[in-house]
Amino acid sequence: MAADTRLPLRGLRNAVIILAVWEIVGRLDLVAGGALPGFTEILFRLWEDRADYPRHIWATLAASGAGFLIGNMVAIAAGIVFALSPATLRLFRGVNIAIFALPPIAIAPILVLTLSGMAPRIALAALGVYFVTMTATVIGLSQADSRATDLIRGYGGSRRDELRLVLFRGAMPSILSGLRIAAPNAVLGAILAEFGGGGRWGLGAYLLGSLGRGEPDRLWSIGLVATLIAGLSYGVFALLSRRIVGATRAVTLNSAIPEVTKVGGTPAFRLFLTLGAVALPFLFWWAFIWLTGVPDLIAKTPWGVVDYLFLSRTAETAQARLLAALAETLPITFAGMLAGLAFAFLLAISSKLFPRAIEAFMPVALITQTMPLVALTPLLVLILGRGPSLTLWVTISVTFFPAFVTLAQGIALVPRSAEELPRAYGGSRWTELRMVTIPASLPYLFAATRLTVPRALLGVMIAEWLATGRGLGNLLNQSRGYLDYGMIWTVAAVSVLLSVVFYQAVVLIERRVLTRMGMSTAE
Amino acid sequence: MDAPDGIALSGVCKTFTGRGRVVEALRDVTLTCPQGSFTAIIGPSGCGKSTAMRIAMGLEQPDKGTVSIAGKTPLQAARDGLTGIAFQDAALLPWRSVRRNVEVPLEVLRRPLATSSEHVEHLIELVGLKGFENALPGELSGGMRQRVAIARALATHPQVLFMDEPFGALDQILRRQMNLELQRIWAESGSTALLVTHGIDEAVFLADRVVVMHAHPGRIVEVIDIPFDRPRQPALFSDATFHQTCDRIAEALHGG
Repeated sequence: MAADTRLPLRGLRNAVIILAVWEIVGRLDLVAGGALPGFTEILFRLWEDRADYPRHIWATLAASGAGFLIGNMVAIAAGIVFALSPATLRLFRGVNIAIFALPPIAIAPILVLTLSGMAPRIALAALGVYFVTMTATVIGLSQADSRATDLIRGYGGSRRDELRLVLFRGAMPSILSGLRIAAPNAVLGAILAEFGGGGRWGLGAYLLGSLGRGEPDRLWSIGLVATLIAGLSYGVFALLSRRIVGATRAVTLNSAIPEVTKVGGTPAFRLFLTLGAVALPFLFWWAFIWLTGVPDLIAKTPWGVVDYLFLSRTAETAQARLLAALAETLPITFAGMLAGLAFAFLLAISSKLFPRAIEAFMPVALITQTMPLVALTPLLVLILGRGPSLTLWVTISVTFFPAFVTLAQGIALVPRSAEELPRAYGGSRWTELRMVTIPASLPYLFAATRLTVPRALLGVMIAEWLATGRGLGNLLNQSRGYLDYGMIWTVAAVSVLLSVVFYQAVVLIERRVLTRMGMSTAE
Repeated sequence: MDAPDGIALSGVCKTFTGRGRVVEALRDVTLTCPQGSFTAIIGPSGCGKSTAMRIAMGLEQPDKGTVSIAGKTPLQAARDGLTGIAFQDAALLPWRSVRRNVEVPLEVLRRPLATSSEHVEHLIELVGLKGFENALPGELSGGMRQRVAIARALATHPQVLFMDEPFGALDQILRRQMNLELQRIWAESGSTALLVTHGIDEAVFLADRVVVMHAHPGRIVEVIDIPFDRPRQPALFSDATFHQTCDRIAEALHGG
């Protein structure tokens, strides 16, 4: 407890140490022959290039800002509808999972083909925001105090009055903490769209353009600016929610689709909802193409993709190319995800053995939650080159941090008395870990897995697209160059589908295992 | 020489430092519980009664003073399986069945489970949960979970039984019922029992002696002997002398 007052000081001290080490390592060119410049070298470069930045920053800010606004308006509206009507939530389950799981880089080319100007960037930023805020809204609204709503109803209030007087106010903290996580997501979405969409302005475009020129200090200064913007956007909403709510909650990333316990109606109605949940994403796809009015040649409907992949003259070569790409992408996705999860799990568990060390690491892990990690792939290219080890490290770095934060916060929730039981019988720390902490952290391990599935695929595809020239990411990038529209749509559809299938598989295993163990899903 | 005292705390002091404030949780606490006796500690929140028990269990170290459990240090007594423990919340492991939860202390102490399976079954029956051996804690009511915790506390044939408000979360009716059962179980086991509680009537009904503590700093202000014969019947709860004793303890709690 006494440590509370010293914590900011210790954080400052750690930051100074990290910067000093960075400076020394950078100045002496110790990392990959100068791929990591010293901190002051980066700042100098930033100053030299200062004339370039305003337009790039403005482009990224405008896109992410507009996406943030639109995405959140849709998300809050959808959240309200879902909270009021469980059947609608059930019906939109497929759409929600798809939006959560889709690797943004995979659909960036599609958005560029079908929309024009800033619209693709705004759309991707909005997609990055939607899930977080929608979930926060549904959870906030459905966790309202039932006694308070009873009071309103007791005085003859309508459902509208309940919503206005109780539910919305009660949901405020949850929605605000959702916005906080959503803000850096919007920046990340805009940058990813800039990677995938070409265009002259924007930090992503700037980063991509500088990658080929081999100037580490410039790449790092762009990365620093992008991180700063994402961090600031998080900070603004953290401050706002502290002002409004008076308390801020821990940063957690929710990866569970809000679950409704009971949906009434006949079995036929429930079957309709399930089928609808599967069909709706495809309907949305169709409607999107129809609404944008892009010609058939460029925009492929679901049927167009099936035709391209199975019926057309070139179907056989298309299948072969797709399978070859998958054979390259999938193993490394799994390997990276497993390594990231295992590393996070071991570190989180050892927080029980070395509490002080982990306590010092936790702020670092929390800060990474506000960083556009995937967008920093070009920096890793400098250090690791363009081989498969790059892909692996990108994947590990984008899976490790969120998994660690989820696990560490989950393990902190294990009741003290349960942990003390083995110790009260003279058991060792190891006995405590084996009998209590490890099994108790299982729900959080599943939650972390759910969270990392789409991220791992995104990390691999970005590394493949930008650097290694292999796998699905590369196939997508190549098809863009060859104007092979069928393949662009196919890769996008397949990667979204894969992500959804993995996610769904984890959810099914999780449910079965946790039910058998008498535990409930962690949120 | 007779057997060593079940529980002996002498001159125990403990202070906590929190947010720049120093809290004196225990000042010079001396308490001796003879072998086979039942002692209840009662006092307002923050009077250090739970701290005293945690020190006796070996979960906290005293700043000053000595602790002996059946003639040994708390840690040694725990490692030898002499102690049994029930916490305020049942602290069951949700992924273990009732039987496997009762077996937790045996596993920690690395005792063979096969040889105690009969004893475990007997304990589950004793607390009235026969037929629920394979149920998971999530399927049980609050009272049933608390009874599993009591059975677990008895799994090692403890000579010393520590209970920290084991019935705190139960309603009055269930609490009375559990008090009766605890008296029976304790009498059968012949162990030394130390109970931390908020309930005056519970303390008077169960204990041979009631220890009254005050806060700031945490200290023992009075030890009151309870003379009633055993086994005590439910009718005792409406006895006049019972209420007089309760009133005396209430006075000791509120006075100086």
